Amino acid sequence: MFTTGSKLFLGATVLSFAGTLIYGASQDGGPVGTLGLFTVTVVFAFLTGINFYVRDSNVSAMDTDGIESSPAARVAPARSMWPLIGGAGVAVVPVGLIAGKAIVWVAVIVILIATVEWMVQSWSEGASGDLAYNRDIRRRILHPLELPLLGAVGLGLIIFSFSRIMLRLPSAAGAIVFGGIAAGVLLFGSLIATKRTVARSLVGALCTIGALGLVGAGVASAVAGSRHVEKHEIPSFEEGTCGADTSGESDEDTSRAIAAKSNLAATITLEHGELHAQVTGVPGDLDTVTLPRSTDSFIRFRNKDDGKYRLVVNLGKEVVDPKADTPTYREVKECTQAIGEGGSQFIIIKAAVPSPTDPNAPADEQFSFTVPGVDTAVLRIVVP
Amino acid sequence: MTTVAAVNDPATNAPATSGRSARRLILPGAAVAALTLLTSCAKDAPQDTFQPKGENARDINNLQRWPFIIAGIVLVIVSAAVLFCVFKFRDRGEKAMPKQTHGKPALEIALTILPAVILLGIGIPTVNTLFRLAKTSDTQCVINVTGQQWWWEYDYPVQDGCGGIAQPIVTSGQIVIPAGQHVLLKIASRDVIHSFWIPALNGKKDAVPGRVHTLRLEADQPGIFAGQCTEFCGLSHAYMRMEAVALDAAGFETWKANQLEPYASPTDPAAKTGESTFLTQCSRCHQVNGILNADGDPVISRPDQYVYSGAAPNLTNLMTRTDFAGASFDLLTEECKDKLWNAKPADFSALYLQGVTPECFDAVNLREWLRDAPGKKPMYTSTNDLGPTDGKTRGMPNLNLSEDQIDQIISFLTERK
Repeated sequence: MFTTGSKLFLGATVLSFAGTLIYGASQDGGPVGTLGLFTVTVVFAFLTGINFYVRDSNVSAMDTDGIESSPAARVAPARSMWPLIGGAGVAVVPVGLIAGKAIVWVAVIVILIATVEWMVQSWSEGASGDLAYNRDIRRRILHPLELPLLGAVGLGLIIFSFSRIMLRLPSAAGAIVFGGIAAGVLLFGSLIATKRTVARSLVGALCTIGALGLVGAGVASAVAGSRHVEKHEIPSFEEGTCGADTSGESDEDTSRAIAAKSNLAATITLEHGELHAQVTGVPGDLDTVTLPRSTDSFIRFRNKDDGKYRLVVNLGKEVVDPKADTPTYREVKECTQAIGEGGSQFIIIKAAVPSPTDPNAPADEQFSFTVPGVDTAVLRIVVP
Repeated sequence: MTTVAAVNDPATNAPATSGRSARRLILPGAAVAALTLLTSCAKDAPQDTFQPKGENARDINNLQRWPFIIAGIVLVIVSAAVLFCVFKFRDRGEKAMPKQTHGKPALEIALTILPAVILLGIGIPTVNTLFRLAKTSDTQCVINVTGQQWWWEYDYPVQDGCGGIAQPIVTSGQIVIPAGQHVLLKIASRDVIHSFWIPALNGKKDAVPGRVHTLRLEADQPGIFAGQCTEFCGLSHAYMRMEAVALDAAGFETWKANQLEPYASPTDPAAKTGESTFLTQCSRCHQVNGILNADGDPVISRPDQYVYSGAAPNLTNLMTRTDFAGASFDLLTEECKDKLWNAKPADFSALYLQGVTPECFDAVNLREWLRDAPGKKPMYTSTNDLGPTDGKTRGMPNLNLSEDQIDQIISFLTERK
């Protein structure tokens, strides 16, 4: 009564349902897993029903003519290359596990593509007795997937190749080379446009050669590596006052620069060796800046003095390890990068603890703005 | 609901009962309209936008008045015209096509120019008011306002304004301002988007994390003005209230001086024990300026390590405020509260500066709060749901204090004036 296929799916249904019950009971009713397993059960039950109804799509054993003439009984029209490609993908996976994660991902994608292509090809070849119809039905299903994917891969290859070549060539030569290539493409296009009788095969061949040349040059450039790029060094007083990582903080947060401009807590200006603070709503210059606690405060530092200077924000000390028997402290500091005369830079400060309430507290405990190299440039910070 | 059978009148071919059913709807309709109108007559409406108590709120009120009147007139004219047309040109069963007209330049030009003139008449004062409300150059006092779930913190930065502030002042729940002065609020948020709104003194302003928005605030006379966070900000959004307290010049100076009074350790034995309990149970998050630990070192709270927003109300002068927990729960008895809220402007400052006196102190809310804060003001659905907040609580957790500890802490807090 039950066909082979429906027996298989029936077994899977029973197993997944048992799994749902066991998981649901053992996991204290965790909704996601239980629901997922139950969904699997429903899917298997549905497949059981379909297989039972269509009798595994088998031709009736009594229909001897049908057995010989059914599409499934026919010899496949061509050999498929997809098992080979899928096998290659599987073989590359262990290589990727050793060499690098990216290769594994490429292999997995190749395996997935091969699986889908092979499945659809096999199905379409048995869809009917008409080979043309079978080819057409495969095209209708796979072309909407294949064409955009191939287009994206092709475009990605071209962009990748271009970028690698550009990075490899000297910066001046890059403009010349690509100017020449662009001129060549324009000339080639113009010639084709004016001479309409040109053979399609010739155009195709030339395009293929061009594409292969571009990709080849790109791969070669990638293997050779990019040209040497001079690092922009910024000489300044006390380089590394805040450490290499934090000194560039304001630059790393450039996406917030626009917000910073319209949300300034204070503008700190270095002029004639002194720091001045301006705060919205408060007339004149301030000698003490109050910053809210545990809140981002945007500060703009402007250098009006000759030379490159950085603003250092001193926010006292904090305990390195609160659980240690003997507490050790470290200075909490934030810095802008060193900027030249007329320049300005933003920095975002968030003070976790209040500043000393006593204005006469020792200088190393006070919160302050300072400028390394300019002893007179000190401005008090108060965090309530 | 009554169902009326539709019987066609042979003369007019219209439902004969439609007139009767329409008449039946008149009375309930009028009742609903009257009730709607009556709601605007509420006497005890402290958040009424139509009763401005300061220059900025008055500007807004003046701005809305004329457009509403003009809009009302336009509504009546348009409605009357529509009803007239519907009635006069209704289908009377004539077969002939009505006379068709195409274009009436004079009418079209008039109907273009008239709305343009009306819009211009509204637009000019609107833009003018917008610029006036955004002005910061005439500021006389700056206060930082920071919203977090679910309370507001106010800190008064060091400045020459506000009559001069040499040391910052931090408070919460009630923002105290000098009456008659142009106060500039700099509004920010520590967690999610909130919105600051004291209807009697100005419009709303969002508090957005990473941004500072300015809002002018000015009260004509001393008094207390209620407000409410108006941007849904989580479980206890409804409990995120605020109050602006305007004091006369002398009263404001007294208030400032009181806020900066050095800490005095309690002498009363119960309060002294409460100080110890406070240090062990509360000072991790709540700052009391000047309080010392057993070694004699100043205690600095670290709410950033325990609370998602990174802040907890400063309790140095708790009993100078008349409520707590986002201005949601009173510290005053009902009688004293009524007296304060209904005080004449001339008497208000002196009354407010008394703070929470022993006669007026109602410990019930505070006791309930200390017993189970999340039970009184929902802060998280379950302590098991603290994953997204990195294990930190939103608001105050239940500390499982004993009744003795609660008594001790209350004794200590009642001296925080």
